[in-house]
Amino acid sequence: MVSQALITRPDSEHNYPGTLGNKSIAVQFHAGSHYVALRLLEGYIPSEKIKLVHYGSPQNRFEAMWNGEVDAALVMEPWISLAEKLGCKTLCEGHYLGAENASDDMDQETFSAINRAVEKAIDMLNENKRKYLHYMIEDPRIADIIKKYGGLTPEDFHLPRLRYIKPTPYSDEIVEDTYNWMTRWGLLNGTACSTDLVENRITASIASD
Amino acid sequence: MKKVVSEISGTVFSLPWLIAQDNGLFTDEGIDMEFVRTLPTGDVEHTENPEEVNPVLQHTAFEEAKVSIYRA
Repeated sequence: MVSQALITRPDSEHNYPGTLGNKSIAVQFHAGSHYVALRLLEGYIPSEKIKLVHYGSPQNRFEAMWNGEVDAALVMEPWISLAEKLGCKTLCEGHYLGAENASDDMDQETFSAINRAVEKAIDMLNENKRKYLHYMIEDPRIADIIKKYGGLTPEDFHLPRLRYIKPTPYSDEIVEDTYNWMTRWGLLNGTACSTDLVENRITASIASD
Repeated sequence: MKKVVSEISGTVFSLPWLIAQDNGLFTDEGIDMEFVRTLPTGDVEHTENPEEVNPVLQHTAFEEAKVSIYRA
């Protein structure tokens, strides 16, 4: 489970989402930041005034916000903590369910073994989240960028924001509600059927354990 | 040992996987896990039209069957 936060610069005139109509907001289309932005903003401003712009990676979105190219951006951790450390404003944020995407040729036994290992790691993580935050700070792909903006320590993170739960099958209700929401926004071809798109492989895994 | 190659996109998605790897939890289950880190997207063309963006995004390794699992 991951959170995406809508952030603005420290000196931004925007202090809540309602003033962001027709203002540029950096997201990555077809990914969590895109969908969470729509879910959060549609409660504040009319859909035709929601102006999302594709900027790609969280680093791109963060820097576009920081440099003033856009009015706001949707980012996840560790960019939320970095933004807040720099005095940026979090206008709202939303959690969403992630998913494991496995190839067709992954057998059930292997998938179950992976999940058992991951579940043990989730227990370790939830016992002491701060102990493992160095993985995010030291990620070789972004470590230098984080340092460029002053760096992060494990103490900079808001731990309740980090929610790790064990793999759970999507319920039919969640699939159906999400499918309907996506087709309403034109993000999914209405002729596709939710049962054609989702294979709840984890359901079989749990049943066989 | 069963060989599995997994994509690591944003670390926030894969934190338990990194912990499992460094603590031998995959090995304990008979899994020889290898990670492939996706690179940030770099410069992209800015657009307000989602249809102009390939929904595969940076998950090309999965699409090309070079990794067998990823999370997002």
